[in-house]
Amino acid sequence: MKFKSSSLAVLMVISAAAHAQSSVTLYGVLDSGLLYQSTSAATFLPTARNLGHVYQLKDGGIYASYWGMKGSEDIGGGYKITFKLQGSFNTTNGKFGLSDTPGTTALFNQYATVGATGPFGTFDAGRQIIPMIYAMAETDVRGAQYFGSILTAWLGVNQAAGWPGTSTNAPIGALYDSNALVYTSPKFYGTTLALEYAPGGVAGQFQGGTRESAVLKYSNYGLNLSAVYYNGHDTNPFPLTYPTAPATPATGLDNNRFYYFGAMYTISGFSVSASYALGKNPAKSSTVDFEMASGGLGYQFNPSFKITSGYYYLKDRNNSANHSSEFAVGAEYNLSLRTKAYAQVGYVNNKGTMNQTIIYGAPVAPGVSTTAAMVGIRHSF
Amino acid sequence: MKTIKALELAVAGWFVAASTIAWSQPGEAASAPASAQGASEMAASGPVAPAGRKADRALRRKVYAAIGKYKEISAGDISVIVKDGAVTLNGTVTEAAQIGNVEAITRRVSGVMSVTNKLTVKKPFGGM
Repeated sequence: MKFKSSSLAVLMVISAAAHAQSSVTLYGVLDSGLLYQSTSAATFLPTARNLGHVYQLKDGGIYASYWGMKGSEDIGGGYKITFKLQGSFNTTNGKFGLSDTPGTTALFNQYATVGATGPFGTFDAGRQIIPMIYAMAETDVRGAQYFGSILTAWLGVNQAAGWPGTSTNAPIGALYDSNALVYTSPKFYGTTLALEYAPGGVAGQFQGGTRESAVLKYSNYGLNLSAVYYNGHDTNPFPLTYPTAPATPATGLDNNRFYYFGAMYTISGFSVSASYALGKNPAKSSTVDFEMASGGLGYQFNPSFKITSGYYYLKDRNNSANHSSEFAVGAEYNLSLRTKAYAQVGYVNNKGTMNQTIIYGAPVAPGVSTTAAMVGIRHSF
Repeated sequence: MKTIKALELAVAGWFVAASTIAWSQPGEAASAPASAQGASEMAASGPVAPAGRKADRALRRKVYAAIGKYKEISAGDISVIVKDGAVTLNGTVTEAAQIGNVEAITRRVSGVMSVTNKLTVKKPFGGM
Protein backbone atom coordinates (compact mmCIF):
# COMPACT_ATOMS: atom_id res chain seq x y z
CA MET A 1 0.00 0.00 0.00
CA LYS A 2 2.85 2.27 0.97
CA PHE A 3 4.55 1.40 -2.29
CA LYS A 4 1.42 2.25 -4.18
CA SER A 5 1.10 5.73 -2.73
CA SER A 6 4.78 6.49 -3.29
CA SER A 7 4.56 5.40 -6.93
CA LEU A 8 1.50 7.57 -7.26
CA ALA A 9 3.52 10.49 -5.91
CA VAL A 10 6.24 9.80 -8.48
CA LEU A 11 3.63 9.71 -11.20
CA MET A 12 2.22 13.01 -10.03
CA VAL A 13 5.67 14.62 -10.10
CA ILE A 14 6.27 13.28 -13.59
CA SER A 15 2.91 14.45 -14.85
CA ALA A 16 3.48 17.89 -13.33
CA ALA A 17 6.82 18.08 -15.12
CA ALA A 18 5.17 16.94 -18.33
CA HIS A 19 2.63 19.72 -18.06
CA ALA A 20 5.41 22.30 -18.03
CA GLN A 21 5.94 21.33 -21.70
CA SER A 22 3.25 22.43 -24.13
CA SER A 23 2.87 18.82 -25.21
CA VAL A 24 4.74 15.52 -25.18
CA THR A 25 3.46 12.47 -26.98
CA LEU A 26 4.66 8.92 -26.49
CA TYR A 27 3.82 6.79 -29.48
CA GLY A 28 4.80 3.71 -31.40
CA VAL A 29 3.90 0.93 -33.80
CA LEU A 30 4.35 -2.83 -33.78
CA ASP A 31 4.24 -4.56 -37.13
CA SER A 32 4.69 -8.29 -37.40
CA GLY A 33 3.74 -11.03 -39.81
CA LEU A 34 4.47 -14.39 -41.36
CA LEU A 35 6.67 -14.39 -44.43
CA TYR A 36 7.33 -17.05 -47.03
CA GLN A 37 10.11 -16.44 -49.52
CA SER A 38 11.22 -18.86 -52.25
CA THR A 39 14.95 -17.98 -52.13
CA SER A 40 17.19 -16.43 -49.53
CA ALA A 41 20.79 -15.40 -49.00
CA ALA A 42 22.99 -14.58 -46.03
CA THR A 43 24.46 -11.38 -47.50
CA PHE A 44 23.96 -8.82 -50.27
CA LEU A 45 27.14 -9.94 -52.06
CA PRO A 46 26.55 -10.56 -55.79
CA THR A 47 28.11 -14.01 -55.26
CA ALA A 48 25.87 -14.95 -52.32
CA ARG A 49 24.65 -18.55 -52.38
CA ASN A 50 20.94 -19.39 -52.62
CA LEU A 51 20.09 -20.83 -49.21
CA GLY A 52 16.64 -21.95 -50.36
CA HIS A 53 13.12 -21.07 -49.29
CA VAL A 54 12.33 -19.69 -45.89
CA TYR A 55 9.32 -19.31 -43.56
CA GLN A 56 9.77 -16.79 -40.82
CA LEU A 57 8.15 -14.42 -38.39
CA LYS A 58 9.04 -11.09 -39.95
CA ASP A 59 9.11 -7.60 -38.54
CA GLY A 60 7.87 -4.63 -40.55
CA GLY A 61 5.52 -5.71 -43.35
CA ILE A 62 4.24 -2.17 -43.95
CA TYR A 63 6.90 -0.01 -42.23
CA ALA A 64 9.34 -0.57 -39.38
CA SER A 65 8.16 -1.15 -35.84
CA TYR A 66 9.21 1.83 -33.78
CA TRP A 67 8.55 3.87 -30.69
CA GLY A 68 9.23 7.46 -29.93
CA MET A 69 8.52 10.66 -28.12
CA LYS A 70 7.81 14.02 -29.60
CA GLY A 71 6.90 17.37 -28.20
CA SER A 72 6.63 21.03 -28.86
CA GLU A 73 6.79 24.20 -26.84
CA ASP A 74 5.06 27.36 -27.96
CA ILE A 75 7.46 30.27 -27.49
CA GLY A 76 5.05 32.89 -28.83
CA GLY A 77 4.90 34.95 -31.97
CA GLY A 78 3.94 31.91 -34.03
CA TYR A 79 7.16 30.08 -33.19
CA LYS A 80 7.47 26.63 -31.68
CA ILE A 81 10.44 24.62 -30.50
CA THR A 82 10.04 20.94 -31.31
CA PHE A 83 11.83 17.69 -30.59
CA LYS A 84 11.51 14.14 -31.77
CA LEU A 85 13.17 10.95 -30.58
CA GLN A 86 12.28 7.80 -32.48
CA GLY A 87 13.90 4.41 -32.81
CA SER A 88 13.01 1.30 -34.75
CA PHE A 89 13.15 -2.16 -33.28
CA ASN A 90 12.57 -5.68 -34.45
CA THR A 91 9.36 -7.21 -33.05
CA THR A 92 10.61 -10.77 -33.59
CA ASN A 93 13.63 -10.43 -31.26
CA GLY A 94 13.34 -7.02 -29.59
CA LYS A 95 16.61 -5.71 -31.01
CA PHE A 96 17.15 -2.07 -31.96
CA GLY A 97 17.55 -0.99 -35.58
CA LEU A 98 20.65 -0.09 -37.59
CA SER A 99 22.72 3.00 -36.93
CA ASP A 100 25.33 4.80 -39.06
CA THR A 101 28.10 2.44 -37.89
CA PRO A 102 28.25 -1.29 -38.74
CA GLY A 103 27.86 -3.60 -35.77
CA THR A 104 26.29 -0.88 -33.61
CA THR A 105 22.61 -0.27 -33.02
CA ALA A 106 21.14 3.00 -31.81
CA LEU A 107 18.32 3.68 -29.37
CA PHE A 108 16.99 6.52 -31.54
CA ASN A 109 18.17 5.43 -34.98
CA GLN A 110 15.31 7.10 -36.89
CA TYR A 111 15.04 10.55 -35.30
CA ALA A 112 16.99 12.48 -32.71
CA THR A 113 16.13 16.04 -33.64
CA VAL A 114 15.55 19.39 -32.07
CA GLY A 115 14.10 22.11 -34.23
CA ALA A 116 11.86 25.09 -34.68
CA THR A 117 8.77 25.90 -36.72
CA GLY A 118 7.41 29.32 -37.54
CA PRO A 119 6.36 31.58 -40.37
CA PHE A 120 9.79 30.98 -41.98
CA GLY A 121 9.10 27.25 -42.28
CA THR A 122 10.60 24.34 -40.36
CA PHE A 123 14.14 23.63 -39.26
CA ASP A 124 15.36 20.37 -37.71
CA ALA A 125 18.85 19.43 -36.58
CA GLY A 126 20.06 15.92 -35.84
CA ARG A 127 19.74 12.41 -37.15
CA GLN A 128 16.57 12.03 -39.17
CA ILE A 129 14.72 10.45 -42.07
CA ILE A 130 15.63 12.89 -44.82
CA PRO A 131 13.26 14.71 -47.24
CA MET A 132 14.25 12.59 -50.26
CA ILE A 133 12.52 9.53 -48.79
CA TYR A 134 9.26 11.41 -48.18
CA ALA A 135 9.44 12.75 -51.75
CA MET A 136 9.70 9.16 -53.02
CA ALA A 137 6.98 7.82 -50.69
CA GLU A 138 4.53 10.53 -51.80
CA THR A 139 4.95 9.60 -55.47
CA ASP A 140 4.64 5.82 -55.04
CA VAL A 141 1.22 4.16 -54.77
CA ARG A 142 2.90 1.57 -52.52
CA GLY A 143 4.06 4.45 -50.34
CA ALA A 144 7.70 3.29 -49.99
CA GLN A 145 6.47 0.48 -47.75
CA TYR A 146 8.87 -2.23 -46.62
CA PHE A 147 7.36 -4.85 -48.96
CA GLY A 148 7.76 -4.31 -52.72
CA SER A 149 7.90 -0.54 -53.16
CA ILE A 150 10.07 2.35 -54.28
CA LEU A 151 11.99 1.80 -51.03
CA THR A 152 12.99 -1.80 -51.80
CA ALA A 153 13.77 -0.74 -55.40
CA TRP A 154 16.03 2.08 -54.20
CA LEU A 155 17.66 -0.32 -51.73
CA GLY A 156 18.17 -2.71 -54.66
CA VAL A 157 20.17 0.03 -56.40
CA ASN A 158 22.22 0.42 -53.23
CA GLN A 159 22.85 -3.32 -52.94
CA ALA A 160 24.04 -3.31 -56.54
CA ALA A 161 26.31 -0.36 -55.65
CA GLY A 162 27.91 -2.37 -52.84
CA TRP A 163 25.81 -1.60 -49.74
CA PRO A 164 26.33 -4.51 -47.32
CA GLY A 165 23.18 -3.71 -45.32
CA THR A 166 25.07 -3.54 -42.01
CA SER A 167 24.65 0.20 -41.44
CA THR A 168 22.36 2.96 -42.68
CA ASN A 169 25.12 4.53 -44.83
CA ALA A 170 23.83 3.98 -48.32
CA PRO A 171 26.13 4.46 -51.34
CA ILE A 172 23.31 6.02 -53.40
CA GLY A 173 21.13 8.60 -51.68
CA ALA A 174 20.14 8.03 -48.08
CA LEU A 175 17.17 7.09 -45.92
CA TYR A 176 18.68 8.46 -42.70
CA ASP A 177 21.42 11.04 -42.30
CA SER A 178 23.26 11.76 -39.08
CA ASN A 179 24.37 15.36 -38.36
CA ALA A 180 21.68 16.64 -40.72
CA LEU A 181 20.38 20.20 -40.82
CA VAL A 182 17.09 20.26 -42.71
CA TYR A 183 15.11 23.34 -43.67
CA THR A 184 11.60 23.02 -45.12
CA SER A 185 9.91 26.07 -46.62
CA PRO A 186 6.29 27.00 -45.98
CA LYS A 187 3.85 25.80 -48.62
CA PHE A 188 3.43 28.27 -51.45
CA TYR A 189 0.56 27.40 -53.81
CA GLY A 190 1.12 23.72 -53.00
CA THR A 191 4.88 23.94 -53.51
CA THR A 192 7.52 23.28 -50.84
CA LEU A 193 11.29 23.25 -50.97
CA ALA A 194 13.42 21.24 -48.54
CA LEU A 195 17.16 21.76 -48.23
CA GLU A 196 19.53 19.53 -46.30
CA TYR A 197 23.13 20.02 -45.30
CA ALA A 198 25.03 17.65 -43.04
CA PRO A 199 28.46 18.82 -41.96
CA GLY A 200 30.90 15.92 -41.83
CA GLY A 201 32.71 17.05 -38.71
CA VAL A 202 35.97 15.71 -40.13
CA ALA A 203 39.00 17.58 -38.75
CA GLY A 204 41.08 19.30 -41.41
CA GLN A 205 38.74 18.26 -44.20
CA PHE A 206 35.84 20.66 -44.82
CA GLN A 207 34.08 18.51 -47.44
CA GLY A 208 34.82 15.25 -45.63
CA GLY A 209 31.68 13.24 -44.88
CA THR A 210 29.28 16.02 -45.89
CA ARG A 211 25.83 15.49 -47.43
CA GLU A 212 23.65 17.94 -49.26
CA SER A 213 20.25 17.50 -50.83
CA ALA A 214 17.39 19.51 -52.29
CA VAL A 215 13.81 18.35 -52.69
CA LEU A 216 11.11 20.24 -54.55
CA LYS A 217 7.54 19.06 -54.09
CA TYR A 218 4.12 20.07 -55.37
CA SER A 219 0.88 18.84 -53.85
CA ASN A 220 -2.57 20.02 -54.91
CA TYR A 221 -5.47 19.18 -57.27
CA GLY A 222 -4.99 15.48 -56.50
CA LEU A 223 -1.45 15.60 -57.88
CA ASN A 224 1.86 15.04 -56.09
CA LEU A 225 5.09 15.88 -57.91
CA SER A 226 8.59 15.36 -56.51
CA ALA A 227 12.09 16.19 -57.69
CA VAL A 228 15.14 15.11 -55.69
CA TYR A 229 18.83 15.91 -55.85
CA TYR A 230 21.18 14.23 -53.37
CA ASN A 231 24.94 14.43 -53.14
CA GLY A 232 27.22 12.84 -50.56
CA HIS A 233 30.93 12.88 -49.81
CA ASP A 234 32.70 9.86 -48.32
CA THR A 235 29.45 7.91 -47.90
CA ASN A 236 29.62 4.33 -46.68
CA PRO A 237 33.30 4.40 -45.68
CA PHE A 238 33.11 1.01 -43.94
CA PRO A 239 34.60 -2.06 -45.67
CA LEU A 240 32.69 -5.37 -45.50
CA THR A 241 35.12 -6.65 -42.86
CA TYR A 242 34.72 -3.64 -40.54
CA PRO A 243 35.71 -3.36 -37.66
CA THR A 244 38.62 -5.76 -38.43
CA ALA A 245 39.58 -3.52 -41.34
CA PRO A 246 39.32 0.21 -40.53
CA ALA A 247 36.97 2.68 -42.21
CA THR A 248 38.29 4.60 -45.21
CA PRO A 249 39.49 8.03 -44.07
CA ALA A 250 37.28 10.90 -45.22
CA THR A 251 38.96 12.94 -47.94
CA GLY A 252 35.97 14.85 -49.27
CA LEU A 253 35.53 12.36 -52.13
CA ASP A 254 32.26 13.05 -53.98
CA ASN A 255 30.97 9.49 -54.25
CA ASN A 256 27.17 9.48 -53.97
CA ARG A 257 24.74 11.17 -56.33
CA PHE A 258 21.04 10.53 -56.82
CA TYR A 259 18.32 12.17 -58.93
CA TYR A 260 14.65 11.27 -58.70
CA PHE A 261 11.49 12.50 -60.39
CA GLY A 262 8.09 11.13 -59.45
CA ALA A 263 4.37 11.82 -59.80
CA MET A 264 1.21 10.43 -58.26
CA TYR A 265 -2.38 11.27 -59.15
CA THR A 266 -5.44 10.47 -57.07
CA ILE A 267 -8.86 10.49 -58.71
CA SER A 268 -11.97 8.99 -57.15
CA GLY A 269 -10.78 5.77 -55.46
CA PHE A 270 -7.85 5.33 -57.85
CA SER A 271 -4.20 6.31 -57.45
CA VAL A 272 -1.58 6.07 -60.18
CA SER A 273 2.12 6.78 -59.86
CA ALA A 274 5.28 6.79 -61.95
CA SER A 275 8.90 7.68 -61.32
CA TYR A 276 12.35 7.71 -62.84
CA ALA A 277 15.70 7.95 -61.06
CA LEU A 278 19.43 7.88 -61.69
CA GLY A 279 22.03 6.99 -59.10
CA LYS A 280 25.76 6.88 -59.44
CA ASN A 281 29.13 7.25 -57.79
CA PRO A 282 30.64 10.30 -59.56
CA ALA A 283 34.13 9.13 -58.54
CA LYS A 284 33.55 5.64 -60.02
CA SER A 285 30.78 6.03 -62.57
CA SER A 286 32.26 3.28 -64.75
CA THR A 287 31.29 0.74 -62.08
CA VAL A 288 28.44 2.37 -60.15
CA ASP A 289 25.79 3.88 -62.43
CA PHE A 290 22.17 2.76 -62.16
CA GLU A 291 18.71 3.57 -63.41
CA MET A 292 15.44 3.00 -61.58
CA ALA A 293 11.88 3.30 -62.91
CA SER A 294 8.53 2.58 -61.31
CA GLY A 295 4.81 2.49 -61.94
CA GLY A 296 1.96 2.03 -59.48
CA LEU A 297 -1.79 1.55 -59.37
CA GLY A 298 -4.08 1.38 -56.36
CA TYR A 299 -7.75 1.36 -55.51
CA GLN A 300 -9.52 2.25 -52.29
CA PHE A 301 -12.67 0.13 -52.18
CA ASN A 302 -14.04 1.71 -49.01
CA PRO A 303 -12.58 3.65 -46.09
CA SER A 304 -11.21 0.46 -44.52
CA PHE A 305 -10.04 -1.59 -47.51
CA LYS A 306 -7.54 -0.87 -50.24
CA ILE A 307 -5.34 -2.69 -52.73
CA THR A 308 -2.08 -1.22 -53.99
CA SER A 309 0.32 -2.52 -56.60
CA GLY A 310 3.63 -1.45 -58.05
CA TYR A 311 6.20 -2.37 -60.68
CA TYR A 312 9.89 -1.55 -60.16
CA TYR A 313 12.67 -1.83 -62.70
CA LEU A 314 16.41 -1.50 -62.07
CA LYS A 315 19.18 -1.40 -64.64
CA ASP A 316 22.97 -1.33 -64.48
CA ARG A 317 23.99 1.30 -67.05
CA ASN A 318 27.49 -0.18 -67.31
CA ASN A 319 26.43 -3.80 -67.80
CA SER A 320 23.09 -4.53 -69.46
CA ALA A 321 23.19 -8.13 -68.16
CA ASN A 322 22.38 -6.78 -64.70
CA HIS A 323 18.76 -5.78 -64.41
CA SER A 324 15.81 -6.50 -62.18
CA SER A 325 12.00 -6.35 -62.41
CA GLU A 326 9.74 -6.53 -59.43
CA PHE A 327 5.97 -6.65 -59.08
CA ALA A 328 4.18 -6.41 -55.77
CA VAL A 329 0.53 -6.26 -54.75
CA GLY A 330 -0.87 -5.77 -51.29
CA ALA A 331 -4.24 -5.56 -49.56
CA GLU A 332 -4.75 -3.61 -46.35
CA TYR A 333 -7.79 -3.84 -44.15
CA ASN A 334 -8.31 -1.48 -41.21
CA LEU A 335 -9.69 -3.45 -38.28
CA SER A 336 -9.89 -0.23 -36.28
CA LEU A 337 -8.40 3.26 -36.28
CA ARG A 338 -5.17 1.92 -34.80
CA THR A 339 -4.89 -1.60 -36.19
CA LYS A 340 -4.70 -2.94 -39.71
CA ALA A 341 -4.30 -6.41 -41.15
CA TYR A 342 -2.50 -6.94 -44.43
CA ALA A 343 -1.66 -9.56 -47.02
CA GLN A 344 0.86 -9.01 -49.80
CA VAL A 345 2.56 -10.94 -52.58
CA GLY A 346 5.67 -10.03 -54.53
CA TYR A 347 7.68 -11.42 -57.41
CA VAL A 348 11.14 -10.30 -58.46
CA ASN A 349 13.14 -11.39 -61.49
CA ASN A 350 16.80 -10.60 -60.81
CA LYS A 351 19.32 -10.96 -63.65
CA GLY A 352 23.10 -10.98 -63.50
CA THR A 353 24.36 -9.74 -60.16
CA MET A 354 21.12 -7.97 -59.18
CA ASN A 355 19.51 -8.90 -55.86
CA GLN A 356 16.56 -6.50 -55.45
CA THR A 357 14.68 -7.73 -52.39
CA ILE A 358 10.94 -8.11 -52.04
CA ILE A 359 10.88 -7.07 -48.40
CA TYR A 360 13.37 -5.00 -46.43
CA GLY A 361 15.56 -7.19 -44.22
CA ALA A 362 15.18 -10.49 -46.11
CA PRO A 363 17.97 -10.85 -48.74
CA VAL A 364 17.12 -12.87 -51.85
CA ALA A 365 19.53 -14.99 -53.95
CA PRO A 366 21.14 -12.87 -56.71
CA GLY A 367 20.48 -13.51 -60.40
CA VAL A 368 17.36 -15.66 -59.99
CA SER A 369 13.67 -15.02 -59.58
CA THR A 370 12.05 -15.03 -56.16
CA THR A 371 8.47 -15.03 -54.90
CA ALA A 372 7.38 -13.90 -51.48
CA ALA A 373 4.10 -13.70 -49.60
CA MET A 374 3.30 -12.18 -46.25
CA VAL A 375 0.34 -11.78 -43.94
CA GLY A 376 0.57 -9.62 -40.86
CA ILE A 377 -0.80 -7.04 -38.53
CA ARG A 378 0.21 -3.47 -37.76
CA HIS A 379 -0.86 -1.92 -34.48
CA SER A 380 -0.11 1.61 -33.38
CA PHE A 381 -0.34 3.12 -29.92
CA MET B 1 -2.40 -2.21 -84.45
CA LYS B 2 -4.72 0.22 -86.20
CA THR B 3 -7.24 0.10 -83.39
CA ILE B 4 -4.47 0.80 -80.86
CA LYS B 5 -3.39 3.84 -82.86
CA ALA B 6 -6.97 5.05 -83.07
CA LEU B 7 -7.36 4.54 -79.35
CA GLU B 8 -4.14 6.43 -78.67
CA LEU B 9 -5.37 9.30 -80.84
CA ALA B 10 -8.70 9.33 -79.05
CA VAL B 11 -6.98 9.40 -75.67
CA ALA B 12 -4.63 12.17 -76.84
CA GLY B 13 -7.58 14.13 -78.17
CA TRP B 14 -9.42 13.72 -74.92
CA PHE B 15 -6.44 15.07 -73.01
CA VAL B 16 -6.17 18.09 -75.30
CA ALA B 17 -9.88 18.76 -74.94
CA ALA B 18 -9.73 18.30 -71.18
CA SER B 19 -6.75 20.60 -70.82
CA THR B 20 -8.23 23.41 -72.91
CA ILE B 21 -11.44 23.26 -70.95
CA ALA B 22 -9.48 23.21 -67.71
CA TRP B 23 -7.41 26.22 -68.75
CA SER B 24 -10.48 28.22 -69.65
CA GLN B 25 -11.61 28.00 -66.00
CA PRO B 26 -9.50 30.69 -64.29
CA GLY B 27 -10.70 33.39 -66.68
CA GLU B 28 -14.25 32.23 -66.32
CA ALA B 29 -13.96 32.28 -62.54
CA ALA B 30 -12.57 35.80 -62.66
CA SER B 31 -15.48 37.01 -64.76
CA ALA B 32 -18.05 35.38 -62.49
CA PRO B 33 -18.78 38.47 -60.35
CA ALA B 34 -19.44 40.53 -63.49
CA SER B 35 -21.81 37.94 -64.88
CA ALA B 36 -23.81 38.04 -61.67
CA GLN B 37 -25.07 41.42 -62.86
CA GLY B 38 -25.83 40.24 -66.35
CA ALA B 39 -26.66 36.56 -66.71
CA SER B 40 -26.72 36.80 -70.49
CA GLU B 41 -22.97 37.50 -70.55
CA MET B 42 -22.19 34.21 -68.86
CA ALA B 43 -24.37 32.24 -71.25
CA ALA B 44 -22.60 33.83 -74.19
CA SER B 45 -19.13 33.07 -72.87
CA GLY B 46 -19.62 29.33 -72.41
CA PRO B 47 -21.44 27.48 -75.15
CA VAL B 48 -18.79 24.63 -75.25
CA ALA B 49 -19.92 22.46 -72.33
CA PRO B 50 -23.24 22.19 -70.55
CA ALA B 51 -23.45 24.85 -67.83
CA GLY B 52 -23.77 22.15 -65.13
CA ARG B 53 -20.50 20.44 -65.95
CA LYS B 54 -18.72 23.76 -66.32
CA ALA B 55 -19.97 24.90 -62.97
CA ASP B 56 -18.91 21.59 -61.44
CA ARG B 57 -15.38 21.99 -62.76
CA ALA B 58 -15.17 25.54 -61.45
CA LEU B 59 -16.45 24.37 -58.08
CA ARG B 60 -13.87 21.56 -58.03
CA ARG B 61 -11.10 24.14 -58.50
CA LYS B 62 -12.56 26.31 -55.75
CA VAL B 63 -12.65 23.35 -53.33
CA TYR B 64 -9.01 22.47 -54.11
CA ALA B 65 -7.99 26.11 -53.68
CA ALA B 66 -9.73 26.19 -50.29
CA ILE B 67 -8.10 22.92 -49.09
CA GLY B 68 -4.73 24.05 -50.46
CA LYS B 69 -4.73 27.03 -48.11
CA TYR B 70 -4.15 24.69 -45.16
CA LYS B 71 -0.47 23.87 -45.26
CA GLU B 72 -0.72 20.77 -43.04
CA ILE B 73 -3.08 19.10 -45.53
CA SER B 74 -1.69 17.63 -48.76
CA ALA B 75 -4.34 18.39 -51.36
CA GLY B 76 -2.29 16.28 -53.79
CA ASP B 77 -3.45 13.16 -51.94
CA ILE B 78 -7.12 14.12 -52.13
CA SER B 79 -9.56 13.52 -54.98
CA VAL B 80 -12.42 16.00 -55.34
CA ILE B 81 -15.27 14.97 -57.63
CA VAL B 82 -18.20 17.35 -58.15
CA LYS B 83 -21.52 16.45 -59.69
CA ASP B 84 -24.29 19.07 -59.73
CA GLY B 85 -22.75 20.72 -56.67
CA ALA B 86 -22.50 17.43 -54.74
CA VAL B 87 -18.88 16.85 -53.71
CA THR B 88 -17.26 13.45 -53.15
CA LEU B 89 -13.92 13.39 -51.33
CA ASN B 90 -11.56 10.43 -51.80
CA GLY B 91 -7.93 9.85 -50.94
CA THR B 92 -5.85 10.19 -47.82
CA VAL B 93 -4.85 12.55 -45.03
CA THR B 94 -2.11 12.05 -42.43
CA GLU B 95 -4.15 12.59 -39.24
CA ALA B 96 -7.60 11.33 -38.24
CA ALA B 97 -8.67 14.87 -37.29
CA GLN B 98 -8.00 16.07 -40.85
CA ILE B 99 -10.81 13.86 -42.22
CA GLY B 100 -13.35 16.12 -40.51
CA ASN B 101 -11.34 19.29 -41.19
CA VAL B 102 -11.23 18.73 -44.94
CA GLU B 103 -14.97 18.05 -44.95
CA ALA B 104 -15.62 21.26 -42.98
CA ILE B 105 -13.39 23.29 -45.34
CA THR B 106 -15.26 21.83 -48.31
CA ARG B 107 -18.68 22.63 -46.82
CA ARG B 108 -17.66 26.27 -46.37
CA VAL B 109 -17.00 26.70 -50.10
CA SER B 110 -19.98 28.51 -51.60
CA GLY B 111 -21.86 26.43 -54.14
CA VAL B 112 -21.22 23.10 -52.39
CA MET B 113 -24.59 21.40 -51.95
CA SER B 114 -23.47 18.23 -50.14
CA VAL B 115 -20.27 16.37 -49.21
CA THR B 116 -19.69 12.61 -49.32
CA ASN B 117 -16.55 11.96 -47.30
CA LYS B 118 -14.55 8.83 -48.19
CA LEU B 119 -11.20 10.10 -46.89
CA THR B 120 -8.94 7.73 -44.96
CA VAL B 121 -5.83 8.13 -42.83
CA LYS B 122 -2.47 7.14 -44.25
CA LYS B 123 0.46 7.67 -41.90
CA PRO B 124 3.45 9.13 -43.69
CA PHE B 125 6.70 7.19 -44.06
CA GLY B 126 8.45 6.77 -40.72
CA GLY B 127 5.59 7.75 -38.77
CA MET B 128 3.64 10.10 -36.70
